[in-house]
Amino acid sequence: MPSTIVTLKLNGTERELIARPSTTLLNALRETFGLMGAKRGCAQGGCGSCTVLLDGRPVVSCLVPVVTVDGSTVETIEGLADGDRLSDVQQAFVDLFATQCGFCTPGMIMSATALLDRNPDPSRQEVTEAICGNVCRCTGYEPIITAVLTAAERRRGAAPAPAPAPAPAKADV
Amino acid sequence: MLISVQMPDSAEAARAGLQAGAIPLGGGTHLMARLNDAAGGDVRLVSLRRAGLRGIDVDGATVALGAATTLADIEDDARLSYLSRCVRSIASPPVRSLATVAGNLFVPQPYGDLAAALLALDAELDVLGADGARREPLERIVTDGLPAGELVTCVRFTAPAKDTFRFYKASRRRLNSGSIVTVAARITIDDGLVGDVRLVLGGLARRLVRAVGAERVLLGAPLTAEVVARAAGADAIEPFDDAYASAWYRARVYPVHLRRALLGA
Repeated sequence: MPSTIVTLKLNGTERELIARPSTTLLNALRETFGLMGAKRGCAQGGCGSCTVLLDGRPVVSCLVPVVTVDGSTVETIEGLADGDRLSDVQQAFVDLFATQCGFCTPGMIMSATALLDRNPDPSRQEVTEAICGNVCRCTGYEPIITAVLTAAERRRGAAPAPAPAPAPAKADV
Repeated sequence: MLISVQMPDSAEAARAGLQAGAIPLGGGTHLMARLNDAAGGDVRLVSLRRAGLRGIDVDGATVALGAATTLADIEDDARLSYLSRCVRSIASPPVRSLATVAGNLFVPQPYGDLAAALLALDAELDVLGADGARREPLERIVTDGLPAGELVTCVRFTAPAKDTFRFYKASRRRLNSGSIVTVAARITIDDGLVGDVRLVLGGLARRLVRAVGAERVLLGAPLTAEVVARAAGADAIEPFDDAYASAWYRARVYPVHLRRALLGA
């Protein structure tokens, strides 16, 4: 079977790629579009490090032949921030020290974003369920759960986002 | 190596692809993981994503799940809340967004927990073969498999009456784990005695098991710890070793989990 042209609405922009049958959505994101946020971890759907949103739902992109999602909407971690302004979930991860090595972070944030887009007032149990497919081998789950709950609070207006830190003063040289 | 992925726009076109030797691709959560895992011969797939097989139809107590309906679709549908515990016990949200109903019928144990629930609900399948469409009991397909080239298009069952469906899964972790023991049961109690029961076990053999011995013990008896303990010994189970549990452990804890499934304690 020859390669085919696949069209995706990727982070809000119509994009095309030429895909072989074996090209996964993850490969397309990383190797064709240069979006390195989604990671290739286990390639078994077990670690969640490749999680992106496909038509609004979180999916493990390593298991999706990209030719099967022609015409779909795909959102990745790269599409969350508005310029230098991080999304609420990203900002909460920064504020609450919810990243360690960072490998799982894009998948965690996409799973958390999918949760909050559907349920802005999740319980701790619901957060745990939402990220149960995202493995953090630094085992930093507690600050991640706290960050997601904090992002939810901020989204509901229940807790103010912290003021941006002032730019560091330039050192005299 | 994956050399082709067909995207048929109808069930008949999908079946034609299967007839020509391709493999059906539902959500890919089992199949694509295997293809990613190891080099192999040429593989041709027929994706069911655009074949018009996704959807949930509830007409009174009659439920029809399209073969390509995802587990997330079931999870989202309040009319199927009795399946919520089962579906949420399967894998994780990014997997359930892809995994399909029909795919779950054919995954090897210790997976296939939705299939256990559907078997307990005495589901039937719409199957499209070379001779046209026909209806098959799920129990026959679980036992005998589906001939190559045939396609499941729909799963049909009668919704259980209130509080008559039980699903219990013991797993290595509370979330996102294959089964050690799965118990799915449709059970009615009349005047303190079991009036009707259909009991299915997962994780305890290489395929799902309908526990007919346990059903015989339970039928007409009071649902007590003593009766359930006898029921747990009434079927010959053939558990297996895997990364989740040993065969010995599965056999050892089955009576405990049957009791928890049926008595809640």
